[in-house]
Amino acid sequence: MKNLNNYGYAFIAPFWIIFLIFNIYPVALTFYYSFTNYSGSGTAEVVGLANYQRLIADSYFVEAFFNTWKIWGVNFALQIVIALILAAIFSDMRVKMKGLSFFRSIFYLPNLITVSSVALLFGILLDWQHGSLNMVLMNIGLISEPINWLNEPASAQLSVSLILTWMWFGHSFIVVMAGVSGISTDFYEAALIDGANRWQTFTKITLPLLKPILLYIMITSLIGGLQLFDLPMLLTDGIGSPDGSLNTMVLYLYNQAFKYNNYGYAAAVAYGLFIITIIFSAIVFKSMYGNERKQARRV
Amino acid sequence: MTYSIFFWLNRNRFRLYFYRKFETGFVNNIIFSNLERGSPMKKVVGLIMSLVLLFGVLAGCSNTETSGDAKSDKKKDVDLKVWSFTDELKKPITTFEEKNGVKVELTIVPIADYPTKLKPVLESGVGAPDVFTGEIAFLKQWVNAGYWENLSKEPYNVNEIADNYVPYVFDLGKDEQGDVRALSWQTTPGGLFYKRSIAKEVLGTDDPKEIGEMLTSMDKVFEVSEKMKEKGYRMFPDEGSIRWFSQGDDPQPWVNENDELKLTDQKIEFLDYAKQLRENSYTALAPEWSPSWFEAMDKPIKVKEKGKETETEVFSYVLPTWGLHSVLKTNVKESDGDWAVTSGPSPYFWGGTWLGVYNKSENKELAYDFVKMMTQDDEFLTDWAKETGDVLSYLPVTNEIKDDFSDEFLGGQNNYQFFLDQAKSIEPGIVTKYDQQLDTFYGNAVQEYVDGKKSKDEAIAEFYKKAQNAYPELKVPKK
Repeated sequence: MKNLNNYGYAFIAPFWIIFLIFNIYPVALTFYYSFTNYSGSGTAEVVGLANYQRLIADSYFVEAFFNTWKIWGVNFALQIVIALILAAIFSDMRVKMKGLSFFRSIFYLPNLITVSSVALLFGILLDWQHGSLNMVLMNIGLISEPINWLNEPASAQLSVSLILTWMWFGHSFIVVMAGVSGISTDFYEAALIDGANRWQTFTKITLPLLKPILLYIMITSLIGGLQLFDLPMLLTDGIGSPDGSLNTMVLYLYNQAFKYNNYGYAAAVAYGLFIITIIFSAIVFKSMYGNERKQARRV
Repeated sequence: MTYSIFFWLNRNRFRLYFYRKFETGFVNNIIFSNLERGSPMKKVVGLIMSLVLLFGVLAGCSNTETSGDAKSDKKKDVDLKVWSFTDELKKPITTFEEKNGVKVELTIVPIADYPTKLKPVLESGVGAPDVFTGEIAFLKQWVNAGYWENLSKEPYNVNEIADNYVPYVFDLGKDEQGDVRALSWQTTPGGLFYKRSIAKEVLGTDDPKEIGEMLTSMDKVFEVSEKMKEKGYRMFPDEGSIRWFSQGDDPQPWVNENDELKLTDQKIEFLDYAKQLRENSYTALAPEWSPSWFEAMDKPIKVKEKGKETETEVFSYVLPTWGLHSVLKTNVKESDGDWAVTSGPSPYFWGGTWLGVYNKSENKELAYDFVKMMTQDDEFLTDWAKETGDVLSYLPVTNEIKDDFSDEFLGGQNNYQFFLDQAKSIEPGIVTKYDQQLDTFYGNAVQEYVDGKKSKDEAIAEFYKKAQNAYPELKVPKK
């Protein structure tokens, strides 16, 4: 019986070998580089905590941090609200919406387009002088001057948020729908008999039971959102124009490493990002589950 | 963003699938249930099974090694490996193969990924090319990184033929010690391309020489711009068009030898020029490389400003040699033949490709033969120039062919002669490895000033801050 354990190691070895080479090694190497002034070629000189000191005082990183939050926050709020409304409509027992699978694929479609195509598409739609959006708005008389959407910090950030919402609400909708269909219809029938209205059913039954799903969406979206990179990179000049408003944390990391060749500092930025992600995931987790535990203890 | 959920869902589905399959499957039976029975024979079978599985994966891992070996077998087929970021070298390579009876493998990596992909290969030397090209944007960084063989040494001795090249082109291939690391076959000076029909209507002539004389300083450019505006035309597509003239008559590098960032008075003046262009409506508000920028080359475009929409045509585009072939010619249909090129307030160059021999190459002799053909072979270069219209930097050839050139697109003008003259007046020694980023930063500062989002001082202060952030080693003026 004693030998039995060794077979287990043999089976998990392939995973561990690959994991060590492609995950742990780069992570550890990045950690090492974050203490050096490595410039991408030549030798790396250890500089101690200098990179981290610089990171804390770096106004561009702070700016990137808030930009990322603003863009992600607006996008997430809209995305989840749209997904919940749609889920409420499609799961309503009295409405009995048809064509769920059809709409599901329609809503999901934007997500299948590569981000570079999306960026190109919206670059043309939002163009200052010749963009379709400005043409439409001017023709119906809402604006008299064309708006340079991607040239004003606020509108540029909002544009990115809305594009992200457009790309991801279908995805959230699918996950929420999956959660909703997992809720037993008994609850809804009972509520119906008790005379609960739609809003009550939604807030007292659907939402509480969807909590784990919402938490899941939130955490994955948060982790993805903190890594926001491709759209801001492609929509404007790749260094966060206009006025640094599209400068996100990962974009900043990328530019420090691959454009300015400050690999050591970029590694420190990466670890800063890592710590921020951990902190916020923990906060989300605590705020969603912390109460439950307290209640459980009270009971 | 949340694509990880797909992996997650899929993984779970997979896990379930495999679990079901193996639950009653034979693998588990052989290995585990038999083991529990403790039969020594079957134990061995079980061990072998798991080892086979393990080795299967290990073999999968080491596959790269074996394929590496396979490649070294292949290496006997491929005599020379070349990396570049365009397909420009395809034809020369075919010529080279036929001439020498060798096989050359060309790897093309798109420019956006080129430095990031090439760097690790050059650092490690695994699968590295024997010859690789470098674009002006990262040329200075690379000549100093030591990846390219020193061509000033034996047996290359390129310094002996220095006089055969356009001075600034030869100079750019030098590292900090003054040794040549890379050569280029082309020169990419710029000009100002304009429409003949508009020139005739507004300025009374379409002769490139006369037009050039009307544009010898920025003040004169503004005079012409005003005339254009009166007749309903726009001088330039956007404000960025004049950035190449911002150096003025006293070009200085962005960073001097003491690592000090220098913002010259001419460059500061450029802020005002750009603002003036916008305020006086001399541009068509079509930013470089935007769809409207391309559209305005061929057709009238609509400009919306100050609450009204006007239709206008753009008079001129500031572009270098390659702009003629790969920008104007590919985007213009109706106005074909209606163009001409002349000089702006100051000579400039934009872009360019250099190539050199990798210093760890095992096949340096053949590698240099290829570089030699690309940069010094009279016969090949003559054919190349005639076929592509590329303006060469190798003077023995250009001197032979420059007189017979004429381009239909430019109404029969000899653009070759024009560009060569421009190239010779370009000051060598003002390119630094910081240029690309600093130009971008400064372009942003100018844009923000022109848009009225920042005052001049704020824009400059922001520029300094960005420069310092990207390059901590620079000495940036405190403002």
